[in-house]
Amino acid sequence: MSPEYRRLKLPARVESVRMFHEFVRSGAEPAGVDSGELDKLELVLEELLINISRYAYGSEAGSVQVSYAVEPGKILVEVTDWGSSFNPLEAAPPDLTLGLADRPVGGLGVLLVRQIVGSFGYRRVDGQNMVSFCFPAS
Amino acid sequence: MPSPPSSDNLLNIEATQLEKAVLLKVSGRMDAENATDFDQACEVWISKGAKHLIADLNDLRYVSSMGLRSFLVVAQKLKSSSGSLVFCGLSGLPRQVFEMTRLIDLFPVYETSQQAIEALR
Repeated sequence: MSPEYRRLKLPARVESVRMFHEFVRSGAEPAGVDSGELDKLELVLEELLINISRYAYGSEAGSVQVSYAVEPGKILVEVTDWGSSFNPLEAAPPDLTLGLADRPVGGLGVLLVRQIVGSFGYRRVDGQNMVSFCFPAS
Repeated sequence: MPSPPSSDNLLNIEATQLEKAVLLKVSGRMDAENATDFDQACEVWISKGAKHLIADLNDLRYVSSMGLRSFLVVAQKLKSSSGSLVFCGLSGLPRQVFEMTRLIDLFPVYETSQQAIEALR
């Protein structure tokens, strides 16, 4: 049986991130995900959503959708946008060996996503970028 | 529809001027929407001549890469004028984020604000 997804589509803007957080929290909390883990899930979402809000649509307005399904022991999450093709898996990792003066101030978001979820999937289908990952739920 | 964001999302910064530094108690959540509040608070103190800032993150529950960006911006600015941004009270998610990005190796990090203050004397 395929999992039942809840979906929320909002403007791809920084201001939408907290609404997505509330949306995912409302399903993950009853599933038994503890508060510390939820913060990590929210962090992963924020990093993906911020990238989309900044880069997917250039100066145009666009949408982003978060879908998730709660399964025993895990939450399946998908983040979809309809903007320009971008595969976060191909983003160059930042050089973490640089000293303070030379360290770029950006580029840490995808690194955090990788570190927290371990691995994630990317598909480009019918003009959509779809990032999916699995988050452990106790 | 999800409920509107609650006050749990607020970032609070409480500053105390000390002899050699300014102690900034940062609490709540530091995300894409409010991270620049930290830059702005620091900017005020830097423009008043502060060289060393101590960010006490003991009551900070959440920080994203946008928060890290703010820390780096402020730290680089202070470093270029022979000052420093030092941290204390790192725990939970903020500590994990500092470790994952290896920012923990980049900044002076103390257990408590008292230790940070003494180190700057």
